[in-house]
Amino acid sequence: MPLEVKPASHSQLNALISTFRLAVEKSDDDYDLIADQVPVLHFMSMSVFDHADFDPLFILEANFDGPAPIFWGQLCSIFEEELRAMLRCCKRPLDGDGPLYDAVTEPGSRAPVAPYFETRTQAPSVFHHGNRGLTRHRILDDEKLFVAMRKAIDVEKGPSPYRGLEPEVARLRLRKDLISQFPWLDLSAPKRVPLAEGTADVVRLALFAVVLLCVLSLPGLLLAPFVRWTTYLLVVAGLTALVAGLLFVKRRGLEGTEVAGGFPKVVLRPYWLILYAIGIAVYVVIATVLLLFIADAISRLLAALGGAPLWGEKAPFWSAARIVGLGLLAAPLSLGLILLRVRYHEKRDSTRENPALDLERVAEMGRREDWIAQNHMGSIVLIKPGALRTAIIRAGHLGLGLVLRVTARAGYLGNMRTVHFAHWAFLNNGSRLLFLSNFDHSWGSYLDDFIEKASKGLTLAWGSGVGFPPARFLILDGAAHGRLFKTWALASRSVSRFWYSAYRDLTVDQIERNHRLANGLRARSLSDDEASEWMRDL
Amino acid sequence: MDEGPVSDYAKLNWKLADPIDAQTQAIVISGFGGLGTGRALFLQVSNSGGDWLTALRKVAPISTAEPPTEAEAKRSAAIAFTWSGLQAMGLDARALASFSDPFREGMLQEDRLRRLGDRRKDEWQKTVVDGGPKWSGNCMAGRPVERAEGTAFAVRDPDKHEETLRTELTVHVLLLLYAIDDAEADAWRKDVEQVLAKFGVRTAHHLPLMVDPNGIGISSEHFGFADGLSQPVPFDADPKAKRKMVTANGSPVPADPIHGVPLGEILFGYTNGHNEPAPGPVVPADDRGRPQAAKLEPHPEGEGFFDFGRNGSYLVARELLQDVAAFWCSMDANAKHIREQDPSATQVTSYWLAERVVGRNRDGHLLCPKPMNLLNPLAGGGPDSNYRFYKSDRHGTGCPPGSHVRRANPRDALSPFPDEGALKAAMKSANNHRILRRGRKFGPKIEDERKDDNVPRGLLFMCLNTDIARQFEFVQQTWLMNSNFATLLDETDPLIGPPGRMTIREEPLRRTIEVDTFVKFAGGEYFFLPSLPALAYLEAL
Repeated sequence: MPLEVKPASHSQLNALISTFRLAVEKSDDDYDLIADQVPVLHFMSMSVFDHADFDPLFILEANFDGPAPIFWGQLCSIFEEELRAMLRCCKRPLDGDGPLYDAVTEPGSRAPVAPYFETRTQAPSVFHHGNRGLTRHRILDDEKLFVAMRKAIDVEKGPSPYRGLEPEVARLRLRKDLISQFPWLDLSAPKRVPLAEGTADVVRLALFAVVLLCVLSLPGLLLAPFVRWTTYLLVVAGLTALVAGLLFVKRRGLEGTEVAGGFPKVVLRPYWLILYAIGIAVYVVIATVLLLFIADAISRLLAALGGAPLWGEKAPFWSAARIVGLGLLAAPLSLGLILLRVRYHEKRDSTRENPALDLERVAEMGRREDWIAQNHMGSIVLIKPGALRTAIIRAGHLGLGLVLRVTARAGYLGNMRTVHFAHWAFLNNGSRLLFLSNFDHSWGSYLDDFIEKASKGLTLAWGSGVGFPPARFLILDGAAHGRLFKTWALASRSVSRFWYSAYRDLTVDQIERNHRLANGLRARSLSDDEASEWMRDL
Repeated sequence: MDEGPVSDYAKLNWKLADPIDAQTQAIVISGFGGLGTGRALFLQVSNSGGDWLTALRKVAPISTAEPPTEAEAKRSAAIAFTWSGLQAMGLDARALASFSDPFREGMLQEDRLRRLGDRRKDEWQKTVVDGGPKWSGNCMAGRPVERAEGTAFAVRDPDKHEETLRTELTVHVLLLLYAIDDAEADAWRKDVEQVLAKFGVRTAHHLPLMVDPNGIGISSEHFGFADGLSQPVPFDADPKAKRKMVTANGSPVPADPIHGVPLGEILFGYTNGHNEPAPGPVVPADDRGRPQAAKLEPHPEGEGFFDFGRNGSYLVARELLQDVAAFWCSMDANAKHIREQDPSATQVTSYWLAERVVGRNRDGHLLCPKPMNLLNPLAGGGPDSNYRFYKSDRHGTGCPPGSHVRRANPRDALSPFPDEGALKAAMKSANNHRILRRGRKFGPKIEDERKDDNVPRGLLFMCLNTDIARQFEFVQQTWLMNSNFATLLDETDPLIGPPGRMTIREEPLRRTIEVDTFVKFAGGEYFFLPSLPALAYLEAL
């Protein structure tokens, strides 16, 4: 949730956050109060971004289970006045929320602050939850079980009662020994992603693909009805070849900025080809129906205005389908034209090789990092201008978010499983991009992991930032310039003045392992192979 | 695997090509295995200027990476400087500022010590000698202190820095003398110290170094295990380079799929693992033309500056004391405990456990695939280090996931998926965090491995890298001392870490042991290993 800060109140806000941190920590690193009182909360952070290009910005980030009102209710019930004091350091919003701001911040106000926070909350443009479908309660319970299993197995004196047995026999014994302590072992585990939610994710992604194809087909759709199909094919093929040629000519990076390794290789497996064919067929049917609907509407409109009807009595399905199909053939051309324009910009984008680092801020971040298994980062970058790039980044974020919902269900982003919660959001009418992440291990290792294994995805997601290392075709080079990228990212960061984690010693990987083990122990019976596999995890 | 490992002994003995071999210190390409003894002199300079280097050149010329001369076959030397040392010698402030943060701040910066596992919340950890390390560079460039909480009406004090920890001894220069025997080494050391004393350069601390290679050239550390086996092999990664700079038997060294690292990971100025020339320090042009006289090249990016780093590197040094008796007694106690609990565990002996703590057997063979990789010795009978963990020992039932060697270089073990793409990505990624080790042991061999004789012994850990944070510190923090490494919970490196648990995977059920502290940090610092032209420049200060 971004709130603009009154510059003159910046130091007061920082001081309030520090006081808040002390109030929350009973001792040095004991966050019992917030853990008890806000049981839906996984991670929370408060930072004030202090940037040369804008007034200070207060960002409160929270990752919680369940509906927002419950979270804000829990948080505000214990920290009402602290949060109110922070709000008083922020500017009165210029939109319709001004009166609400006045009501909660006026001197002596007793109005609850939760509604204000709820109203001002901004949903992320892309959101990733590493251990999707696991509530905080589940994560902590699974951990307790893991520790109890370890304790039961590693007895201090005498032989371990679980050694020397067949895995399944040992597992059942362990289950029997622990079930009184963990009665939930008798219940089956709730489904992490319920069927309805999973289906909705797939449907949303499919709809996105249909709309994307429709947009790319648009030039073809507009041209196809008015020319002979042979002429159309000749024109489209000729232009596509021309654009492809131009792209080939412009494929090289700027002098000295190209990184070895080209486009990701697409392996065409028969299975995938069939899937693509089905996808295209589905697209043609949906798009045809849409086209008929639109054509019918236009036709009716023309008729109502006294004009001649566009399609005669009723547009025949097959002729519309033919137009959709022909339109689709122009999609590569549209894509090529877009990429050509992108290359034009990429060749002229200036790169920030040596961003001014606020050494005091960098030192302050260093003092707060690497105390526990996880770390936190917040970053704001300015976004490159232009309508095309705005469209690309908006569509890119929407698509990326939908793809993650469908694919990243067991913590993995590509080959990496280090992110608990990450999200991106557009700020200030889409001119700035906020990124917040709660991740495992050090900041350097987190970024190195992405640079080394997923520089293309990173370039796609962040390449829209002003000063990003030189990229090609939206995905190549860019973040593969590891040190340049890290310096660029470091300069955009802010100090996470308050940061809370509900499970400070657990990595995403360990949460998944604990959950696997817990599910294995819930089972009433396992095959020998399954039991061996389960036991190997211990 | 579609491409077999290409490394063999020839490639492990890679060389640098002409002309850079004459500009690079010999320690980059060699551990001087033929010279069994040595002296590490930790020097402190008291006056600015580089005259003493001129005098040193006469008594201990620094060896280059060219083929050794007859004299160098008997005596070889290497030299490296701390940031505080360069400052004391009077290096220009802009040059001092051009070094990387870890080097300028020093190993004893508070946040760095926490990341390295040495100190936390004002307390030295159990892996550090009592009272804290005895020597360091005492670099003074502490991090700046935050201005009064925010920007509003703030008063800035640009000179305010955090307090840095100081060690009793200040080290400015590390001079390494390698000789054929102790008598030769002592005589040489005496000559060197006599010459340097005239210039106010004194030895603040010294260590007698040694290697005792067996018949196939492998030396063991004090616990008794073969050491220094797995080393990165550099290759030329610059696509535009006209000449190949790394050769073996006269031909260019190809990128080895297991140990290959771009040359820029080891030497400044060449393409590194992050696709850019490894950034090194610079020196400004001056009226006396010193950079040109020293044959430094103009800096490719900085007008008015010369490339001070090219063909140089950072040398990380940590003096580690080893408690041999504690190590073996701990293994004895654990083996006894396990066999008391489980009399069927006849395989569990002290030695069996020690092998698993290290990850190799005494001769250096990796403990995998189960029981161990004895099948494929290299020419000369040395252990095969061309090993990928994932395929043959994915679950670590041979070489435990938390063992020292698997933590120090996990190769492809951290890949989450079995497909070739993921395995290659894991391997390539791990190779962006390699260090070229040049450590040597000090102190006599213990008489009885179970009986403490109170004689200090250990390892002067030394390694070369161009990005201290991404290479040495990453290995120490993210792999060795990471309590969540490879999905293990709450355990760190069993050999060099603090007391704690270690998981040893066995089918069907893993065992755990409780290890003690066996290795203690007694002093350390980051050094700059200059090229020969950079050394000539320092001489002219």
